[in-house]
Order: sequence, then C-alpha cells, then structure tokens
Amino acid sequence: MPTDTKRVRGPEVSQSPSLFLCKNAVKKSTAANDARVDGRQRGQVDVRSVFVRCGLISQAKGSAYIEAGNTKLICCVYGPRETERKDETDMKSGRLITDMRFAPFSCRERGSWIQGSDEKDLSLMLLESLRPGVCLQKYPRSQIEVNVMVLENDGAVLAHAVTCASMALADAGIEMYDLVLGCSIRQEGATYLIDPTLLEENGYNLASGSRENLGSLTVAFLPSLNQISGLQSDGEMGEDTLTGDVRTCIEGCFKLYPVIQQALSKAVRRKAPPSES
Amino acid sequence: MATVQVSEAEKVYILHGVRDDLRVDGRGCEDYRHMEIETDMVSNTDGSAKVTLGHTDVLVGVKAEMGKPRPMVPDEGYLEFFVDCSANATPEFEGRGGDELGMELSNTLYKVFNNRYSVDLKSLCISPGDHCWVLYVDVLLLQCDGNLFDAISVAIKAALFNTKIPKVHISEDEEGGKEIELSDDPYDCMRLNVENVPCIVTLCKVGHRHVVDATLQEKACSVASLIISVTHKGTVTCVRKVGGGSLDPESIFEMTEVKWDACALFHTICPLPGKLISIEYSAPCLFT
Repeated sequence: MPTDTKRVRGPEVSQSPSLFLCKNAVKKSTAANDARVDGRQRGQVDVRSVFVRCGLISQAKGSAYIEAGNTKLICCVYGPRETERKDETDMKSGRLITDMRFAPFSCRERGSWIQGSDEKDLSLMLLESLRPGVCLQKYPRSQIEVNVMVLENDGAVLAHAVTCASMALADAGIEMYDLVLGCSIRQEGATYLIDPTLLEENGYNLASGSRENLGSLTVAFLPSLNQISGLQSDGEMGEDTLTGDVRTCIEGCFKLYPVIQQALSKAVRRKAPPSES
Repeated sequence: MATVQVSEAEKVYILHGVRDDLRVDGRGCEDYRHMEIETDMVSNTDGSAKVTLGHTDVLVGVKAEMGKPRPMVPDEGYLEFFVDCSANATPEFEGRGGDELGMELSNTLYKVFNNRYSVDLKSLCISPGDHCWVLYVDVLLLQCDGNLFDAISVAIKAALFNTKIPKVHISEDEEGGKEIELSDDPYDCMRLNVENVPCIVTLCKVGHRHVVDATLQEKACSVASLIISVTHKGTVTCVRKVGGGSLDPESIFEMTEVKWDACALFHTICPLPGKLISIEYSAPCLFT
C-alpha cells in the first residue's frame, strides 16, 4: 500500500483509540432474533429509505447524490470526451472509466487520500456493473468518466455507488439501456440482513451459532431487462443460500426502482420545464 | 487480460460448437484440459508449486515470516497475496502493463480467503498480540492461455499443502524479555491443514451455454464470466462476475447448480504425496 508522506500520522507505535473500545457493548446490540439496531426486520426485504437528488454539481455534465441511512455518496459524470486513439476497439465503441474513492473522514478510521487497492477493486467492480447498462457503441472514440466519492460509509457502499452512478449517467444524458440498481445483503446463519449498516457488515454474532452461512453479497441489477450486471460475494455460503440471497437482492432492487425513477423525472422536469402551451 | 483477436467467422464457429457441446479442441463444455502439478521445486521457499493447465503456467511460492498480528485479531496470523504477471507471458504485460490484471487477481484471492475456515489462522499465532506467522503467497504467471483463476487457486492449494513452517519456542529470560528459538532440526516443522482451502472454477458464458476452462479464443467470444470459489464440502466462499456483459439471473442459478465434481477432483489431489502429479480428465465421471 503506498504511504502518504505529506501528512504526519503520529509516531509509529501509536494506535487508534477505536481498538480499545469495549467490544461487548457492540456485540450485545446485535443479539439474534431481535430487530436490527435501526428498527428494520431480519429476514425481510427491508431496504433503508433513500434520499436521492440529481443535478447538484453545475460543472459536471451529470451528477447525483444518494443518502441511505447514514451512507452518503456523491457521483459526477463527465463526458463524452475525446480519447486518444489507443487501439482498435476504441474506434468502434466508447470507453467507460470509473473511479471510486473514500473521503478520509468517511470511515471509522481515517483513510488516506492515496487510492488503496480496495478502492481500485471497488472501481473495477463498479465499471463491470455499469458497462452493460450504457450504450457505448453510440459514442465511438470517446470516453465517459464516472467519479464516485463516498462521504460517509455506513454499509452497502458498492450497491449505493452503482445506483448513484447510473442516476448520474442518466442525468448527464448518456444513452442507457436501463438504470442499474445495486443491493447488498449480509447472511448470518439462517437469517439475512438486507442493506446492512457498517456494524452489521463487519461484526457477526457468535451466539447465533452456526458455522455455515456467514457472508455478504452485492448484486447490480437492470430491472426492466431482468439482467444481472454485477455480482460479488465473500464469506462462506451454501449454494442454496446463495441463490436465495440473489433473489432477495433482486427484490430489493425492484423496491428501489420507483423511487429512483421519480427522482430522475423530477430532475428532468427541473432542467427543462414543460412548456405551458 | 491477454487477448487474442478473433474474427467473426471464428466466433460463429466457436459459438455453434459450444451449442452442440463440442469445443474447438474436442472437449465437452464441462471438461478441463490436461493439468500437471508439481510441488517443492523452489528450495528457497517454505512451500512452492507449479501448475500447468493446457498452456497456462503458474508458479506459486510461499514464504513464512514472523510479523506482528493485526490489531483487531491479535491471536491470528494472516496471508498476503501478490500476483505478478510476468512479461514472459505476453508482451502486453511488459513494464506496468500487467499490474492491473495482477491487482484484480490478488484482490479476488483476498476475497476467496476472507472467511474463517479456509486456512486455520489461529495455528499461525506464536504469541498473541506480539508475534505471528505471516504467509506471503507470491504467484508468478509464466504463460497465459486462459483460465488463470483456476490454475492459480490449484497452485496455491498445492503450495500451502507443501508449506513447512518451522516450530518456534518462546522462552522468557531473566529480565522478562521474550526470546524466540527456532529448533535446530530442519524437519521439525508444522504443516498446514489445507482441507478447507477453496478452489476456483471459472464459468464463461458463450452463447447460451456456459463453458469451463475457457481458452483465450473462447474468452474472446464470451461477454461475461462467473468466478465461483468452492470448498470440498460445497460451501461457496466467493462469487464474482467479471467481464463487460450482463447475465440473466436464471443462467447464474444454472451455473451455480453445476455439480462440483471437477472441484472434488481438485480437492482429492492435494493430500497426494510425491512430486509430480499428472491429471487426465475423462469426461463421463466429471459431471452428473
């Protein structure tokens, strides 16, 4: 990992105070069979309600802001711009470049401004999730840049980044086949937690017992075409649990769809109000 | 990823073949190429393995070093992965060209091993909070002919099986300081239990069917692939979709239903002793 040489991080032997936090307090609040900390239910498709707004950044071609619980992300889109002719494939279709970054104050521990390997990995997954949705063959020899900045990380960051980025692309007027929506799920034993918060993502309750089925899954989905454009899971899950979770995430995406559509149509109406006649 | 240019006529040929369960080299859709695994070839490492899958060549070296455990888990050691795409593989990897692919492979490996049971990390602890074993797993791509993930995962499993970690004794001296002693006997070492180490199977979507162990030409005809990492019990530790296309949810469910006999074959390889193991796949017993 590249180190940040411009800032003084304290002596090398120093440690973050968060390591000394009382862990018991955290574990008790996630006891099994209780409702989740923010009042949502386990085992049900209960996504956090979102606030979305398009067109905030005047300099960018398109932009979007999403807030889901405490997770806050902002995305802007620049392009289509001309790209230097690198190889044959650029002549026939455009190129999508994604960049996802975490603000240093976004996570519990202060992060670095230099892009680490997790951020590069997330940018790659964002690219793979968005590419099937954008009509790149309509933009030969051009590149479209999508920049996502995570302002506060409270879980399900990749899923919301996908949603935010596709809204920003639509706001920029880039032609797309469909909106790409993201949904994240955390499997713990026999129940699942959809759209997990950061605490739910990282911690797990040892008391809930089972050795099987502890993992997270993120799905990027195109609702009207019924296609999955991005799928990523880790942890360990049985095969049936995996397919069940994918179906649950798809349901979560369908729940989100009308909200996003409404926000987009509001943004379009604001940009170009319908004529009175 | 190293790519080949494939003409439209070739693409049609490959697609029609796959549709009829007959690939260009005569395999069925769910057959692997000939695989050779050799272990213990690099004497300077604590464990090494080389896997040749068709024309794909992967060399893995594992070195165990003593380090400080991670603050959040003081009683566990950890693994560090690094994949180097050598310029020997293709000219595209010259200079920094192979870095992107290498990073993608390393990040996927971190996700594959990011669970409690793949490797027993507690056995890598020497003294909680102070010292632990850090296993540096370095993967070198020598030749690239498609299906890198599968070859790398088998090589890592074989290399971890081959790894010999020296036994250490911690003794306290008079002032209360800790002294670490390595035993004099070079054969007094600890082996890792690799039973639960997962193997990766890559399924490429070509036309309406999926294909296992795709060559570069078949990769060029597919829009999307699914990487699934499975343990011998059938637990899935990582699923990832790669490529610029989209997949129908039904085809994803179909891909995950493929019986894991190929993976079972991978998993039975590793307890085998001996230096050179050559595997020939016969079609009927593979997938039921």
